[in-house]
Amino acid sequence: MSSNAARTLTFNVFRHNPRDSATPPRVVAYSLEETPGMTLFIALTRIRETLDPSLSFDFVCRAGVCGSCAMVVNGRPGLACRTLTAQLPAEIRLFPLPGFELIADLSVNTGKWMRGMSERLQAWLHMQEEPDVDALEARMEPAMAEAIYELDRCIECGCCISGCGTAQMRTDFVGAVGMNKIARFRLDPRDARDDADFFDLVGDDTGVFGCMSLLGCHDVCPKQLPLQTQIAYLRRGMARQGLLG
Amino acid sequence: MKIIHTDVLVIGGGLAGLRTAIGAKRRGLETLILSLVPAKRSHSVAAQGGMQASLANGIKGEGDNEDVHFEDTVRGSDWGCDQHVARMFTHMAPKAVRELAAWGVAWSRVQRGDREVVINGQRVTLTEKEAAHGLITARDFGGTRKWRTCYTSDGTGHAMLYTVSDQVIAESIPVHERMEALALIHDGLRCQGAVVRDMITGELSAYLASATVLATGGYGRIWGISTNALINEGMGAALALETGVARLGNMEAVQFHPTAIVPAGILVTEGCRGDGGLLLDNDGHRFMPDYEPEKKELASRDVVSRRMAEHMRAGKGVKSAYGDHLWLDISNLGAAHIDKNLREVKDICRYFLGIDPVKDPIPVRPTQHYSMGGVRTDHRGESPWLHGLFSCGEAACWDMHGFNRLGGNSVAETVVAGMLVGEYVADFCYSKAGQSDLSPALAREFVERERAGLNALVAKPGSENAVALRARMEQIMTDKVGLFRNGQDLDSAVVELAELLARSRNVGVRASNLDANPELVLAYRLPRMLKIALTVALGAQRRTESRGAHFREDFPARNDRDWLNRTLAFWREGDDLPSLDYEALDVLHMELPPGFRGYGVKNIVEHPDSAVRQAEVDEMLAAKPDRYSRQSALMPFKQLLPARYRARNARLDDTP
Amino acid sequence: MIPASEKPGPWPARLDLLQSVSGLFLGLFMWLHMLFVSSILLGEEAMWTVARFFEGYFFFGYGLPWLVSLFVAGVFGLFVLHAWLALRKFPAQWRQHRVYWTHMRSLRHEDTTLWFVQVITGFGMFFLAPVHLYLMMTHPELIGPYESADRVWSGMMWPLYLVLLFLVELHGGIGLYRLAVKWGNFSDPASARRKLKRLKWAFTVFFLALGLVTLAAYIKLGIEHAPHVGEPYMPLSSRAAP
Repeated sequence: MSSNAARTLTFNVFRHNPRDSATPPRVVAYSLEETPGMTLFIALTRIRETLDPSLSFDFVCRAGVCGSCAMVVNGRPGLACRTLTAQLPAEIRLFPLPGFELIADLSVNTGKWMRGMSERLQAWLHMQEEPDVDALEARMEPAMAEAIYELDRCIECGCCISGCGTAQMRTDFVGAVGMNKIARFRLDPRDARDDADFFDLVGDDTGVFGCMSLLGCHDVCPKQLPLQTQIAYLRRGMARQGLLG
Repeated sequence: MKIIHTDVLVIGGGLAGLRTAIGAKRRGLETLILSLVPAKRSHSVAAQGGMQASLANGIKGEGDNEDVHFEDTVRGSDWGCDQHVARMFTHMAPKAVRELAAWGVAWSRVQRGDREVVINGQRVTLTEKEAAHGLITARDFGGTRKWRTCYTSDGTGHAMLYTVSDQVIAESIPVHERMEALALIHDGLRCQGAVVRDMITGELSAYLASATVLATGGYGRIWGISTNALINEGMGAALALETGVARLGNMEAVQFHPTAIVPAGILVTEGCRGDGGLLLDNDGHRFMPDYEPEKKELASRDVVSRRMAEHMRAGKGVKSAYGDHLWLDISNLGAAHIDKNLREVKDICRYFLGIDPVKDPIPVRPTQHYSMGGVRTDHRGESPWLHGLFSCGEAACWDMHGFNRLGGNSVAETVVAGMLVGEYVADFCYSKAGQSDLSPALAREFVERERAGLNALVAKPGSENAVALRARMEQIMTDKVGLFRNGQDLDSAVVELAELLARSRNVGVRASNLDANPELVLAYRLPRMLKIALTVALGAQRRTESRGAHFREDFPARNDRDWLNRTLAFWREGDDLPSLDYEALDVLHMELPPGFRGYGVKNIVEHPDSAVRQAEVDEMLAAKPDRYSRQSALMPFKQLLPARYRARNARLDDTP
Repeated sequence: MIPASEKPGPWPARLDLLQSVSGLFLGLFMWLHMLFVSSILLGEEAMWTVARFFEGYFFFGYGLPWLVSLFVAGVFGLFVLHAWLALRKFPAQWRQHRVYWTHMRSLRHEDTTLWFVQVITGFGMFFLAPVHLYLMMTHPELIGPYESADRVWSGMMWPLYLVLLFLVELHGGIGLYRLAVKWGNFSDPASARRKLKRLKWAFTVFFLALGLVTLAAYIKLGIEHAPHVGEPYMPLSSRAAP
């Protein structure tokens, strides 16, 4: 068989509209000729345009930066927009991210979950005081700025939640995305909070002490965030806080 | 029917909308944001390279200030911008960066001492001042005389959007996600809110608001290939257009970015060239110096894009299955630099092209990128034709970009406009005009009209295919309303688009559910997109000159005499085409009278007032000793700003 | 801010730490324990020496088996504590079981699967380990080459020990690996994890092999000693005495 003969791909796609009680969840197979450079974004768009206009899924930036299109591709959570079909077998299973409210088919409500997490963890920079925007900005070591940005790169796609056995079992677990947020603000010298404050947010089994170090989060994170290191670092800090007060 | 009351309704959860909402909320107003997608997924997140602000901290930013930034912006706009607004903007940009720094953006910082950079293909050592250590640094971008673009690696938009979005959460401002405004509720004089569809449940409700802010981004997705996110379909502009009252400005002013990857059309930042990357042709030859010996790869975006297209037309493009392209080579920057400052670019190359930019050149070509046009507003962000309707960010034609936007000026605009419009919106809400009664009866009427429209769509399968019509529209825009334009193509574009609009009325929906239904969404958006496409095509057809990004092969001169004006488009209900009107720019009050931008050969039909104003300006410049008094004599603008933002910006080299 | 009633207080931190520390101790102890038990491979005398050593025989000149009882009681306590702490993380409801199972099968991710192995092995040990621990606590004097061999073979304990061996080595190895990634501070976490994983498997294989050989040795000894079941081992020193 010639290597440049186009494959016919079969997409087995989860279909369900939770507001339509008459139609149970099902898997529908769609066949599509593979084209060069085809991504799951291109493939799903083509399915919708040519085979089934009712298929729901979420793409926004289609460039791997907005975090909208996370779904479970052959068992693994990942960003569909930047997944090339060439890297997949001819049989492709697409499921919505587990752990989030299903909107329809491959579309889930990660935004609602993330907002809830942010509110619960108070995941914003707590300023010491309102800035004087006319004056020179406060200085920061260049290396510190880079270290903060490293953790700030999370795109809230939800892959870590879907890749985490703990989060799957316990719906109140904040997951790697939440712990990484805390790690990010804890690192930031501009944040007015100290470890006692952070402990109140993540110092229990819904937070860092609920994490069982399965590291699914670390291994599926599409931004390759240093989650293993950050969670361990946070755990040490929070344990110290818990023990010594 | 549900009616939700709020003081301020912000439509759009990107940077401009979020920052506006914070401003209004902090003024004590009940504020609510609608967003098609979770706010942090907005297209602002895709801004990579940075945000311009004249902080002048780095050694290559020395001597920078608002004046230099202003001049760059006005020249970049090809004198098409509103100079008062450009002044307000350049004055505000440092404040915006500094506010964001305090709110949490991890801006890259100046490292004292020596560092190696690439300038014009050469490795050069720069020595940063001790005194600047730890202040916000900046990189070079096109069309600027100083290194002015503040950044966090190449994820600047992400860092900014997350920071501002987090502060929205901190302020407890509700963001109603996955909500789409289908119509503005208005009585022809006053905007009173919007009819809103819940994209999950399909429920229609009315949001009644004293002030409504459109911050919905651009309309790049009416082109087939665009760097824009898929949600940038011009729906905000369409909402305004469909009021029949509000007007859109300069819709034909559309920017094509020089470096989007082929074929996906995903942007790689201008920072690639700013940091020293080169454009190469099929011979591996660096061609930009041949065309623009002074600014080379760092000429203004419109210029670089045209030069690239010109070079490909001359047969120097690289052939590929997806058409010709050129190379962007950043391998000379080295792995360390790319890993630190261009990591998103590296990711994009890896995932979408399967290449490593540390070693391989990147296939690029000019691609639709930015909408300078949008909902025409005054300097306060309000529509002069429909009170209570505000707009800001890319959705608006506030008009600081004129006919070409500088790289790094758009994310800067979003936040600056948000800071200002938030204040003006609040002023309006507290004014007598803002406190006039809102009409639930009117709201009901508008909701019922939209409901009837949706029901009609799902009632029939329709004789036209929305996907096919859309594809045709995209093709027309790409082929006939692109980088190079001419009368013949534009004529046929207008005719064909109008035909498509008529046919789009026969589109139906097969799946009849009114809740989450992508087919329904396309069906109701398509006619709106076509209307936007028509305002762009018609504006381009009528504008028989070349200015900034609007380039007419049949009218290559910039014609200040006849066209130093702003196109205004509105749509009378029942019409098949938009109506156009023009608003002249007042040369006699410009701080920087029209001149030559310095690219290619000078080809300008002068405005009679230009020379007069230039003489006046020269005289005033000679008379005043310091730059602040010179500026306020030339074109006072501080009175236009909210009082809290009028103070001067401190800089490292301020003389005490 | 957060109301005081919703603040977590210090206990979740303490319990998590306690779970880790007890696991660390038990894991390391089990490896040492295996080394001591395997002294049988060096001969009966070697095993007798090790056993008596822990009774303080070589300090006092005579054995104090209650020292061993005390130690075993300590281990037993730690075991119960660790089990109780770990139990909090187990899937308690059927829904959680099913979700985890589905998740694990879909993700095919080693560390996620290994945790399930820990749940199963931990659950198994919960029933099997106390049998052995109780016996050792109440009859510490029955630790010796013939005494142990008799227990293994004639006392029909070898099936239990065989199962326990796998449970302990798998559970302990995975647990110690997890402790390292849970708390460890690595400059290059990816390579550290790869190395730890390799080390973990090496240890597990080594101790399983050692355990199987050791158990075989006791079985062999037990079969040989079956006719004299119950007779304790006489060390060379006492045999040499007139």
